[in-house]
Order: sequence, then structure tokens, then C-alpha cells
Amino acid sequence: MREMTVSELLKNGPKVINIGVEQFYEDLKSQDVPVVQLDWRPPAVNSELLSKLHRLRGGGKS
Amino acid sequence: MLLQRIHVEKGAYYDSVTLMLVARELQSMEGIEEASLNMATEANLKILAAAGFGVSDIQAGQSDLLIAVRGDGSVLEAAIEKARELLKNPPGRKSTPGEYRPKSLDGALSMLPEANMALISIAGRYAGDEADKCLDAGLHVMLYSDNVPIEKEISLKNKAKEKGLLVMGPDCGTAVIRGVGLGFANACPTGPVGLVAAAGTGLQEVHVQLARRGVGVLHAIGTGGRDVKEEVGGITFSMGLEALLCDEEIQVVVLIGKPPAPSVEERILRILEGGKKPAAVGFIGGKASGDKPPLYLCRELEETAAVAAALANGKDPSSAREELFKSYERLKEKAAPMKRKGFIRGLYSGGTLCYEAQLIATGLIGSVYSNAPLASEMKLADSLKSRGHTMVDYGEDEFTQGRLHPMMDSTFRAERLLSESQDPDVGVILFDCVLGYGCHPNPAGQMAEAVEKARKKAGGRIAYVAYVCGVDADPQGATEQRKILEEAGVTVCDSNAEAARLACYIVG
Repeated sequence: MREMTVSELLKNGPKVINIGVEQFYEDLKSQDVPVVQLDWRPPAVNSELLSKLHRLRGGGKS
Repeated sequence: MLLQRIHVEKGAYYDSVTLMLVARELQSMEGIEEASLNMATEANLKILAAAGFGVSDIQAGQSDLLIAVRGDGSVLEAAIEKARELLKNPPGRKSTPGEYRPKSLDGALSMLPEANMALISIAGRYAGDEADKCLDAGLHVMLYSDNVPIEKEISLKNKAKEKGLLVMGPDCGTAVIRGVGLGFANACPTGPVGLVAAAGTGLQEVHVQLARRGVGVLHAIGTGGRDVKEEVGGITFSMGLEALLCDEEIQVVVLIGKPPAPSVEERILRILEGGKKPAAVGFIGGKASGDKPPLYLCRELEETAAVAAALANGKDPSSAREELFKSYERLKEKAAPMKRKGFIRGLYSGGTLCYEAQLIATGLIGSVYSNAPLASEMKLADSLKSRGHTMVDYGEDEFTQGRLHPMMDSTFRAERLLSESQDPDVGVILFDCVLGYGCHPNPAGQMAEAVEKARKKAGGRIAYVAYVCGVDADPQGATEQRKILEEAGVTVCDSNAEAARLACYIVG
């Protein structure tokens, strides 16, 4: 199980997945923090549109 | 003759850093006077219009990219083509060749199975959903992105709380966990102090002012400014505070933010009182006053740091506060030979620094106009046009949609410094340079260049006052940054509160 409490996070220090501004990834690397940069791209269809389509097709309230 | 052109790239998403890097490449082209790449938000269209670009017939929405160029007519087409090419392979990326970048969260987690946190800084309209996925994967989240709806914030925080996870943000620019700086953070020493802050540059200012007093910080938990509003209920603030109170390494607790909603403030103070640790509470501009040792209530950022440092050093917090305010009185002597007539124009990259400066100025010289004012009647009708005493927060959402935060790039703010300097009613221009990880490598250089240009036109009519929020261990080096500003004729102060007071005494 990955989940750890806030106290455990404070005790162990951050190990980071960086999603976005690459400078933050570089800065964490320079502080010797374990970090992975995610090559993030926007979804082809946004989730709001997807849920509207779902509703139109009679897929419930969500 | 200079010509201009705006090209619309439909449905193109790029992060702000990429856009800035490409714009810089275009600006270095022969014959190009000005180039900018921004997402076509309403605010960015307004900014382009203010810069003299014709935008009335532009058909574009916030998912479209605008490439705007001005210069020699013969090179405009080539510049736009060059931009489109560069966007396919952005310049200046530092990634190590051969370094694999996973394309999914699962991929990232298989590369770093021990990951315990996600730092998310993508556009706000996507950031909430990504944060949701990260919580599902059991990660604490720091959500740097702004423009995330409050309903999404509430649902993320409730979900996180159930799982015992923290959601720092949205709009959380700064945090420190076990001495590690996340986002915009200063390279200050670690020590016995733990902070919780609903104010990004408020956190940075207290962190830096503690370091100036030789006191270190082990953890600084950011919450995002909205966390302490009634609707959100201080979920992250309370969780962070409880964790610090349980942490045996933390001897002094510091709370920072604008005043929380009354019910949230009551909850927070109840948790704090139960913890029995000495604490400095810096709810800036709050009405609460009167110390209840070991709790000390403060109204400004440097004051909060001075009190916390005294607590950490076993000294009397009340005397530390008194000494600080006496030192502010001495600024009147410093201002005497600098006297100017006219208004103050404050140009801030730090939101809390802008807020604190408005509070101080309002107390000393009267109300201040702003795009993020203390009272709604002082809101600027147009954030790009000052009136009377004005202080502009360039980190507000209106300026950061599809555009780099001013702490990462001061180009836009430096242009405003130039135009404010041409206003005959202005006596003092006041600004900040915030240093640290994530920030521009030379913010003082960007601002100093504008000051030098402005002084050539305005001579000595205007006094320039600044504060450099940083320490020598920061990537930019605080002493070096101060020197750059001082050489350009700027008076540099030791704290944000000091700079705001000096500016007031100069015109007051």
C-alpha cells in the first residue's frame, strides 16, 4: 500500500512525480530528491465534454 | 515602418515555459521588435491590445495559441513559421539525452515505486483531474496550478482527508518538506520551526526573515489561499497543523495567511491551543490582537518571523517585536533626503507581499488601488491602468492564464515599470524580486534594466524602492541580486514591510 500519513511524509521526506513545469523537476534533482518527470499532454477530449456525451447517450446523471 | 501580425494556432496547448522560450528565440531575430506567444485568454487579448496589437477581429478561445510579432514587415511571416517549427521541438530544454519520460502516472510510479507526492503545475482546467488520479494512487499532492474551481478543491480535499493525504493547493506555489524546497522555495537552513501557510510569498518572506535571524525551518506546509475560506473549511491547514504539533522535531509553530473565515480561525486556534507548542500566528491584517503566551498574534510578516525567531532562541518575543517596530521608525530619517512628490506605484510578483504592502501603505498614506485590493471599492477598473496610489499583483489569475508567473519572468512587469515612470504623477516605484528555486535566474537584472532605461527619461524625479526576498544560498544569490539593483540606483530594503514603509515615508 503506497498511502502514507502526513506524519510519515514529514518523517521520510518527499519522493516526487512532477507533472508540469520542468524547472521544478530540475530543482528537486539539484536537491538530491528522488523525482520523475511525467511527459504530460492534455487529454484529447476533456472530461467535462465526455460526461456530457455520456449523459446524451442516456448513461445516467454523472 | 513597423508592422504587426497575430497568428492563431487553433487547439494548440503548450506550457508557459515553452511559450516563453520560443518568444525569446523570436525576439533575437533580426528585424523583430517584439514577439509574444500566449494562450488566447480574455486577459491575454487585453494585454496584447494594451501593447498596441489589433485584436478586435481575432477569433480565438482559451485553447488556442496566439503568436504575436511586431517588426520589419519582411520578416514577420518567417518569424511565425520559425515559432511553429520551434514549438515542435522547444529550445532550451535541459532534459538529459536518453532520459526516459513516462507518459502516464502508472509509468511514472513504476519508475519511482517509492513516490509519495505529486507536484502538479499544468493548466488549471486539467490540474484537478490529474490531482484526483494522484490521490487514487495514494500520493500526497502539491497543486501549484491556479484556475482550479473551488468545488473541485473541496472534493479533492475531502477525498484526501479520508485517505489521510494532504492536498497543498490549488494555487500553492511554495512548500518545504524535510528541508526540501518544492515549487518556489528558498534555500534556507533547516531548524526547529514548522510553518503552515495559506499564502505563498507570505511563507517565503517568513522563511527568509527567519533565516536572516539564524533560525531554520524543517517543514513549511502550503495550503493555497482559499483553504481558509468558509467553503473549504481549512481542511489542509488543520491537517498540516496537527501533523506539526505531533512532530517531535518541531519546537515552534508558525501560521501564516490572510485572516481566515471566523469559523476556520476559531478551529485552527483551538487545535493550536491544544498542542501547547509556542507559536507565532501571522494572520496578516487580522483583527485579533493581544498575546496569549505561548501564542503570539502578529499582523505583519517580518513581525511574525521576529517573534518566532525569539521563541526558537528562548528570547522574549515582545521585546523582539518592539525592537523591530523601533527600527521601522528610523526609516523616516532614511527617507528624509529621498523625499518625492506624487503617488506610489507598486509592482509585485508576490501576492502576499502586495497585500502586506497595501495594508502598511493604507495605514500610513491612505487607500491604495489594486487589482487585488483590501476593499472592493479600491479595485482597479482596468488592472493595466493605475490611479492614485496603486499596487498591482502580477501573480493574480488574470495575468497567469497561459502566461508565466511573474516570479519566473518579469518581462511584462518591467514594461509596466517603464510606462509608470513616464507618468508625471508618480513619485515612487516600489517592487519585489522573489528568489529561490523555480524563480527566474536573474529577476533583479530584468527589473534593473528597466529602471536604468526609465531613469534616462525621468531623471531623478522618481525614487525606486525594492525588496529582494531571498538568501545567499538561493540559485540567484541575494547579495548579488541586491547589488544589481543598487547599481541601477534602486534603494533595496531588508524586508517587504520595510520597503513599503520607506516608500510611504518618501512621498508622505
